[in-house]
Amino acid sequence: MNTAGSCRGRQGWLDRRYDITPLIEFLRHKEVPLGAHSMVWYYLGGTTLFFFSVQIATGILLLMYYQPGEATAHESIRYITTKVPFGWLIRSVHCWSAHLMILSLLVHMFSTMMLKAYRPPRELTWISGFVLFALTLGFGFSGYLLPWNELAFFATVVGTDSVKSLPLIGHWLLEVLRGGQDVTINTLYRFFALHVVILPMSCFGLIGLHLLFVQRQGMAAPVGADHAPRGMKFFPNFAIRDLLLWLICLLALLVLAVFVPYGPTIPGMEWELGQKANPLAPAYPGIKPEWYFLWIYQLLKEFPPHLVGLEGPQVCILLVSVLMAVWALTPWLDREAQRNQDSPVFTDFGVALIFFFTFLMLKAWDIGALGGGQDPASLRAIAWTCGWWMLAIAVVVTAVRVLFLGDRWLVLSAAAVLHVVLHGIVGLSYLSAGAIAAGLAALPLAARLKSGVQPVVGGGAR
Amino acid sequence: MSGSNGANEHTRRGFLDILLGLSVFGSLGSVVYPVLRYLTPLPAGGPAGPATLTRDEVAALERKQFVIIPVGGKRVLVVQDADQNLHALAARCTHEGCTVQYVPGEAVIWCACHNARFDLDGRVLAGPPPKPLPKYTAERAEDGSIRVVRENV
Repeated sequence: MNTAGSCRGRQGWLDRRYDITPLIEFLRHKEVPLGAHSMVWYYLGGTTLFFFSVQIATGILLLMYYQPGEATAHESIRYITTKVPFGWLIRSVHCWSAHLMILSLLVHMFSTMMLKAYRPPRELTWISGFVLFALTLGFGFSGYLLPWNELAFFATVVGTDSVKSLPLIGHWLLEVLRGGQDVTINTLYRFFALHVVILPMSCFGLIGLHLLFVQRQGMAAPVGADHAPRGMKFFPNFAIRDLLLWLICLLALLVLAVFVPYGPTIPGMEWELGQKANPLAPAYPGIKPEWYFLWIYQLLKEFPPHLVGLEGPQVCILLVSVLMAVWALTPWLDREAQRNQDSPVFTDFGVALIFFFTFLMLKAWDIGALGGGQDPASLRAIAWTCGWWMLAIAVVVTAVRVLFLGDRWLVLSAAAVLHVVLHGIVGLSYLSAGAIAAGLAALPLAARLKSGVQPVVGGGAR
Repeated sequence: MSGSNGANEHTRRGFLDILLGLSVFGSLGSVVYPVLRYLTPLPAGGPAGPATLTRDEVAALERKQFVIIPVGGKRVLVVQDADQNLHALAARCTHEGCTVQYVPGEAVIWCACHNARFDLDGRVLAGPPPKPLPKYTAERAEDGSIRVVRENV
């Protein structure tokens, strides 16, 4: 009672000046809906924010020693990890937290997708989240180059090169991004500015907006319910749980950073400093980007030099852009969720996306390669092994969906599995297998979407 | 009278709105244009070729059968084949821009990033690149120095 009284005193002083009572009332009444689905999904935005805060803190610390420059970038990181007390720890935490932030963000995004939390009135929350996702990928990509080592150098060469496939402004944008025609130390200066000023500032603004939207509207209730049947008080019940989870995250982060300081050393998840970049050295095998870019790296490999009158990489970038656009515009495309109905098509689209990404990622890891070679026989063996792995994963996921979640509409994920089977196990090329699978899925998809557009039929179609 | 007067005023307002809009665009343009020009990199400096190999580069060429040198701000691969003939090609793979290398054992040019292969004339033998490697000319002068220059297409 005493504490409450003193609080009121301080509150009164502030209240007379800034009228904070409505804010206090808002927080006091804020509730988190308890619905049919697990609460786990409500914490993921918070954990992403937590890892982001760790990134800001460790990033500022790294800035105290890091010097961008031809003769200093690589050397200063070496100095941080070998000489500065606990420098290795700060860098290791920064790297681990980056990967965990992206992981947490991806799970957050997919859970939003599966639970249809993007449906009206939360379209702008989804869009701001999608842009934040893009900015986070930009963080990963620009930060990767800053140690100026060979692996990052070539990953940046390949990664930026795809920008030239953009129509009209591609070549100009590529030069602006690189600070010249090729990746040089000028590129590092630009990436440094992006990584430590432009992206953080944009993120602060957007995170503020994203959180404001969430605060104004509250968490999304389950599909089909106007209000959540029950709620949990945000203060203190949910906030305490949030805090506990953040503590667990911090602990996990520190354990990983201390015991696995250079990452799990699988391609795309290792940050050994390595050799200093030399723009005049030839590329070597095993140049791979970070794990969250592996799928696009592999997809670029699957495209032939020319396709439908365009260059292979251009078609690939076009395809990826369409996919990302559909993902970003999901709240407007998903007519059923707009009417607060289940939308199995988009649930299945999410699962199909996961299958698509996972298969490419398995292939990018060269699982099943013969002696590490890249000859046709070895590539065939990789497709074969990854195909069986992916099939096993898909069978388990689909069984869980059908038996426990009651999903019945499986056309898109079935197409993704058919693609894996035709390419990996039957032995068709990646693209022809994809074309057949997409062609077969198109008809039932079109029929389903058409029935979904009409309000009356849409309700009964489930 | 009053109606035509109103219409008159309407167009006057419309005219002012256009002026206002133009001045807004003008102000934005006067900010955006210098920034875009500032961000657009200048053309690469340095001599646009021909380039002469340094002593170290010649030594590397003898040792590894190939060397990569900068010519006019671009990476150029200089190869000495089994018959001691010189070849020079852009070292920038036409697929995704990685730096290629010469594999003496197979007498092919290879890009490690996506496993592309070219012959010594830059033609694509295997892999995803959409175009051949641009050719340069490498000549050995009488004093043994090597000059590399962009081939005129």
